Amino acid sequence: MTIFLQATFEGLSLGSVYSLVAIGLVLVYKATDVLSFAHPALVVVGAGLISALAVDRGVPFWLAFIIGIIATGLIGLIVERTFLRPMVGEPVFSVAILTIGIDILLRTILNNWIGLNPRYLGDPFPSFGNFGSLELNGVTLKYLELAALFTAIIMISLLTVFFKKSKYGVAMMATSYDQEAALAQGINVGRIFGLVWLIAGILAGFAGFFITGGFNTLTQASFVSALRALPAVVIGGLDSIPGAVVGSLIIGLTQGYVAYYQINIENFLGIPLGSGFSLIAPYLIMFFILLIRPDGLFGREEVERV
Amino acid sequence: MKKRPDLYTNYKSESAIFSTSTQKVWFVLLILLSLIVPFYFSPYWMLLVTTSLLIAIASWGLNIVSGMAGQINLAHGVFVGIGTYTSAVIGGVATSSVIGFELDMIIWLPLSGIIAALVGIIISPVSARLKGLNLGLVTLAIVFIGSHFFSNLKFITGGAGLGRKAAKLKFLGIDLDSGLSIGSMILEKNDVIYYFSLILCIFLGLGAKNLTRTKIGRAFSAIRDRDIAAEALGINLYRYKMYAFALSSFYAGIAGSLLFIISGGIEPGTFSLLYSITFIAIVIIGGVGTVMGPFYGAFFFTMLPGIIQTILHAVGVADTGFFLNAGEIERIVFGFFIIFFLVFEPRGIWGIWFRLRNYFKAWPFSY
Repeated sequence: MTIFLQATFEGLSLGSVYSLVAIGLVLVYKATDVLSFAHPALVVVGAGLISALAVDRGVPFWLAFIIGIIATGLIGLIVERTFLRPMVGEPVFSVAILTIGIDILLRTILNNWIGLNPRYLGDPFPSFGNFGSLELNGVTLKYLELAALFTAIIMISLLTVFFKKSKYGVAMMATSYDQEAALAQGINVGRIFGLVWLIAGILAGFAGFFITGGFNTLTQASFVSALRALPAVVIGGLDSIPGAVVGSLIIGLTQGYVAYYQINIENFLGIPLGSGFSLIAPYLIMFFILLIRPDGLFGREEVERV
Repeated sequence: MKKRPDLYTNYKSESAIFSTSTQKVWFVLLILLSLIVPFYFSPYWMLLVTTSLLIAIASWGLNIVSGMAGQINLAHGVFVGIGTYTSAVIGGVATSSVIGFELDMIIWLPLSGIIAALVGIIISPVSARLKGLNLGLVTLAIVFIGSHFFSNLKFITGGAGLGRKAAKLKFLGIDLDSGLSIGSMILEKNDVIYYFSLILCIFLGLGAKNLTRTKIGRAFSAIRDRDIAAEALGINLYRYKMYAFALSSFYAGIAGSLLFIISGGIEPGTFSLLYSITFIAIVIIGGVGTVMGPFYGAFFFTMLPGIIQTILHAVGVADTGFFLNAGEIERIVFGFFIIFFLVFEPRGIWGIWFRLRNYFKAWPFSY
């Protein structure tokens, strides 16, 4: 039972980190019709910026944290303005491939900086000692994972309020329904595109900290963890924000349970699944869910005309 | 030469493989030229040319499924990997950790294509269910599942970080691993691989061109342009998508079987996401949906490291402490070219060539 609770908690926390990336992906896809493969790169760039400031430069952690996250948002904004604006109206897939190009650019420069040794991200509360943990009925709750859970809840509530109440939030919703109609209503669609990328970048920055913080460390392979937000988005449906959250939780829980119960599953199935199976389990889930529901669990079915 | 090269009086001449006799002459000249290339090029450039030819074969495969049939496939590298490991198992040497049967090339060359094609057929029903981006994302899943298999099936691949040796080069009982001597002429192992690649490249290239003018090729174009309309015209979507995946994986398997014999060994980590993306980039940079495009793209991509090295040496920053090394510059240039071609020339290198040719055809008039 303790193991089950431990796996559930770690899965939920992992899922909430994925949901930060996933919401960014869905926002960008809904508003600008771009499926961004560059998002995992943004996530690790955010982590890299925080690490560079807090550890290499010796900036106080919280300042480095805020600067790093805002800078990630600005990088998102710059990417949109420079590379993606000329591609408005092009086929979705061409733009998706273009974001792979951006991903290669960002990550090559970042990997050059990371080098071979893992990078640490600095510690917000040095008194706890390396991100510490809390013992509850035998379940170890890491502060980092708790913080991820709370941050995700706060960010999602803030975004909900933003979309319901604020002028720009409503304008963003209008843009995602129909770009041209929104333009006709006097909404500055270009500015909305930029704003969406800024928000997505900031969310990616937060996720970057939680993915690589503590003992997880930032390495050249860290982006693979961020890439797992893609199956989350697909499971939920590319154009649904609640779907993105649910999908992320499914992915996170799957990963958590498989990591803890792989031996039991192997005994049950009678075949060895191989090391690191928990890392590809999300892709298997995505594979089967897409076969059953091609538009994801919450996605709108696309109506096509000949 | 005809007086009006763009005037076709019947369908047969319009869809001919070589639309003018000039093209035929150039084709024969190019083949003759490429036959004597090994005697003039240094081993380093021979290596690059051979790799380009094989990469071109694999890129034609991706072009069949993505460029001609319009089915997005992010997992092309996995099929190349399947071809590689089939050849390594059938033609490789068994050790204490990996299996191998040391059979003849005449057996493993077609088999590596066929087994890759079989895997393609197994995966193809997915494309009947999904389309567009969602299909791309499922093939992304296949990349990760494929790499998981590659690094965990240790008796086939040797395991992550270790790898195994590639197949032995033995053709019709003749052992070619130490080269071939005909009279006073001695061909190195890599030259032998070059000739094999050249022959395969000519035949599979003509095959890809020929495909565009067959019933299957026309069905592919119809599916790419509008799948619902194609279905209404009586094209069995399921079956033709299966053909597309099978053909594409066959090309990938054939290319993969020879690709790693040059370097001699294979490490499962090679077939990563970036490896699969490379093929997409090659097709885009070369020109989607054209036959010559992927060929140009493959040469461009493979020669890029050589060209960048040469430029770096010429500028004199090769050994000094420039903050990026050659491999990283190469990757940045590569990423930049993907973006550049998608934004400015979606038809790729082929498109540039096409415009240049038309410009000089109409010269001195602009159109």
